[in-house]
Amino acid sequence: MDVFLQSLISGILLGGVYALIGTGLTLIFGVMRIINFAHGDIQMVGMYLTYLLFVHLGIDPFVSVLITFPAMFLFGGLLQRVFINRVLDALPQNQILLTIGLGLVMSNTAMLIFTSDYKILTTSYSSGSLKLGGISISQPMAISFLITVAITAALWWFLKKTDTGQAIRATAQDRDAARLMGINVRRMSILAFGLGSALVATAGALISPTYYIYPQVGSAFTLKAFVITVLGGMGSIVGAALGGVLIGIAESLGGAYISAGWKDVVVFAIFLLVLLVKPSGLLGKSAA
Amino acid sequence: MTRSLLALSLVLGLSGPAWAQALKIGVINSMSGPEAPIGENLTNGIKLAEEDLKKQGLQVQIVWEDDTGVPKIAMSAMEKLATREGVTGIVGPYTSACANAVSKLAERYKVPLLVPAAAKEEITRQGLKYVFRMNAPADVYASVLVDAALTMGKPKTVAFIYENTDFGNSTSKTAKEYVAKKGIQVVADESYSKGAQDYRSTLTVIKSKNPDLVFLVSYVADAILLMRQSKEVGLKPQAFLGGGAGYTTAQFAAEKAVSNFVFSCTQWTDDVSWPGAKEFGARYKAKFGKEPTYHAACAYASMMVMADAAKTAKGDKDRTQAALKAGKWNGIMGEVKFEDYAGFNNQNNHTMLVQQLFDGKYETVFPAKFATKKPVFPFPGWK
Amino acid sequence: MIPASRLQSRLAAAASLLLLAALLLLPRHVESPYALHVLILIFLSTIMGQAWNILGGYTGQYSVGHAAYFGVGAYVTASLLLNRQVAPWVGMWAGAAAVVVVALVIGSICFRLRGPYFVLASIAVTEIIRLTATNLKDLTNGAEGLLATDIPPLKVGATVLTDFGTKVPFYYIALGMAVLTVLATWVVERTKLGYCFQAIREDQDAAHSLGINPAFHKNVALVISAVLTSFAGAFYATYVGFVDPPTTLGLDLSVQIVLICIIGGIGTLPGPVLGACILVPLSEVLRSNAVPELLVKWGWMNGDSGAGLFLKENLAHAHVLIYGILVVLVILFMPEGLVGFFRRITRGRRAA
Repeated sequence: MDVFLQSLISGILLGGVYALIGTGLTLIFGVMRIINFAHGDIQMVGMYLTYLLFVHLGIDPFVSVLITFPAMFLFGGLLQRVFINRVLDALPQNQILLTIGLGLVMSNTAMLIFTSDYKILTTSYSSGSLKLGGISISQPMAISFLITVAITAALWWFLKKTDTGQAIRATAQDRDAARLMGINVRRMSILAFGLGSALVATAGALISPTYYIYPQVGSAFTLKAFVITVLGGMGSIVGAALGGVLIGIAESLGGAYISAGWKDVVVFAIFLLVLLVKPSGLLGKSAA
Repeated sequence: MTRSLLALSLVLGLSGPAWAQALKIGVINSMSGPEAPIGENLTNGIKLAEEDLKKQGLQVQIVWEDDTGVPKIAMSAMEKLATREGVTGIVGPYTSACANAVSKLAERYKVPLLVPAAAKEEITRQGLKYVFRMNAPADVYASVLVDAALTMGKPKTVAFIYENTDFGNSTSKTAKEYVAKKGIQVVADESYSKGAQDYRSTLTVIKSKNPDLVFLVSYVADAILLMRQSKEVGLKPQAFLGGGAGYTTAQFAAEKAVSNFVFSCTQWTDDVSWPGAKEFGARYKAKFGKEPTYHAACAYASMMVMADAAKTAKGDKDRTQAALKAGKWNGIMGEVKFEDYAGFNNQNNHTMLVQQLFDGKYETVFPAKFATKKPVFPFPGWK
Repeated sequence: MIPASRLQSRLAAAASLLLLAALLLLPRHVESPYALHVLILIFLSTIMGQAWNILGGYTGQYSVGHAAYFGVGAYVTASLLLNRQVAPWVGMWAGAAAVVVVALVIGSICFRLRGPYFVLASIAVTEIIRLTATNLKDLTNGAEGLLATDIPPLKVGATVLTDFGTKVPFYYIALGMAVLTVLATWVVERTKLGYCFQAIREDQDAAHSLGINPAFHKNVALVISAVLTSFAGAFYATYVGFVDPPTTLGLDLSVQIVLICIIGGIGTLPGPVLGACILVPLSEVLRSNAVPELLVKWGWMNGDSGAGLFLKENLAHAHVLIYGILVVLVILFMPEGLVGFFRRITRGRRAA
């Protein structure tokens, strides 16, 4: 029972981070219909930024989210404006390849600047844990979960209650109709990409105290992000959040009850199952 | 090693400039890619060797090839060195996978290959004449750690957790065979994909099995994560045994909150009484700003030995092979002699050491004749 | 008066035959095993790219999971060679048979999906295969890989044609396979099968309404593509002698295969050939530090200057970065790849 509960808790906490990554991707896909293969690499940039802020300015990773979020928002917006905008109407395969190329450029530039050395952020609470019964809850993961909930709530409010947020949702729902209604869809795309980037980079910042940073760290997260967004339903924020937590739990339980080596297979198998049985995902509205 | 080299160079000097061409020695190393952080140690070790060889008046031209940690590219590099560059001998590669892949090529091209730090046993188990290995192979990683544990206590059970790669698999495989021989029962066998960030569920499963020993094989980043999460879930065996690599690095040691009292096996430390070991450590730190890992020492010694053999053979590849086979050296890696034993050939029967971390500092604890401190056993628990 | 397009295609055919003749004679004049090695890599990349082209370029199904077929072909061949001393020219057919099964299974899963979902599914499937290969240690030796280097000599009757001691037999085999793959693509391009493929690429539903069975044709394209890719895998296993999951089943390989086609020109016959001819030498040249050495030799750069040292240290590591930049540039400015780019300028010149 202990093993089950411990795995469950760890899975939920990890799922929080996954949820943030997935939310970012789903926003980008929802608005622009682009599969962003550079998503994990943007997270990597966010992680290095967090690292630099920590090492050179002594800013705690969780606090530095206040800097990382806007900075990466601008970075994402810039990427969209300069590169991705040009392929918005191109073949989807070309869009994918462009993002792959951008991802390669980002990760290899990081490799040139920082070398492949693993960078580890050690904070005072990096290995801290709260004990509840026989279960230990990782301190940094708990904090990041809370921050994720806060950010997701703020995002929800932004999209539902503000004009810009509603404009973004309109663009996601039907690009042409939105354009006809006078919404500047180009600007919405920039906003969406910027926001999506900020979210995934923040997720990176949140796990920095408990993980490690290296140039190729993005690739594993990109794949997981796709699984999460498809599971939750491409374009649905709540779906991505839910999907993230579910995948976190599946991974954790898979690791405990099957084996550490097979847990990724579990994740991908769920992915294929969803694609085949209900491709619009748990909460998705948009069709393939 | 320095003394014999000095003597040799004196003799050569007295006999006049018999031949003045530079010796061409190739190096295959992981200088970029995921293995680059450790590859850097080998590079630096060889650079120090280059300096020392120059000081001895030996003209050595080192040809560097980057295998980026990929076996296929290591093979390309070997091709290039053997056929285009015409080197007398090669030091490297670093990883087991790359070393294994190029070993047959070295034999085919008849270029002596001295592997400095790769653990996979197969490399010197294939009966290849031209392949030599400086470091102790994977079976010693296991045996030295388990033997050390057995001198300190009476562990009955062990849990394995290791990365699902060539290195992780081969090291843990021999370890499992060895513990069976010693009557220790394996209660958990978990291989993880390198780069996963959450080991908590795996560690919880291991904790529930209550093992006396936990044997880990990882590179440094996962090592730190595993120890952090072990602390989180409260895993408390009698000892953590780190099978080389990640557990022997300064980066791991620096994580004092989680690395304290962890045992690891290593090919070399700077406070062993091997000639020049301490000086090498100090010199490395002064020049490169960080502590050397055992890889640096292995690479340094390998380059010195290869250069010496090549010099004796006057740059002839076959004679270099013979010189390596027949030679005996004594330097920062202790005594080096390539022998055939227990199914290995051309293998240096190198003594490995077990060290334990005390508040961020490595102390050698086993074998007793090299020990600098008494080990702390069992693991006193997390603070 | 021969129309310009027929003249052009006749010139192209003549040029190709000349190139082929040159390549056939090359080993007699070029001794360097390293040069042969680079050419073999180019041929291998051509095979992989051309095979993918049939499914991706002509049928429009962008699989970013082709490493699955490469890996299965490589593993079956290596395993049979190592464990049962089965010669690779026999083993490769066993690999092909295995791959047909794998391809049909993957097709039945993935072809229900369109566009980006198909891409994602293809990636997921290959990752599952890779992880399975890594975990089923008894079957595949897991992450340690298979080292299979004892190739039996190739005999016809009692005469030994070659014992694979040098690179030359590999060169001719790779060249032969590359030529066959190009021919296969040429045949596909011109037959009814090819027209069906391209119709599906342009508009699957419209094609369906015209009586073309999309499921059937997509699977045919996949099987052809997969079998050819598996031959490349079988060759790789025999030539390199070592296979392990990350190299033969990894996402990097799948992406590389796609890049060869994209940069060269997707859906065209010479595209993958061109792509291979650019990417392989580029990566070798960068990795081997030839560029800084050349610059120093020509006196354009001082080897010890700041810039010189930086380039020497880092250019070798930067080849993937340059791949990435190339991809971005090609997609933004030459989406039909280099072949498309050349065709556009020649067409423009003729029109003017």
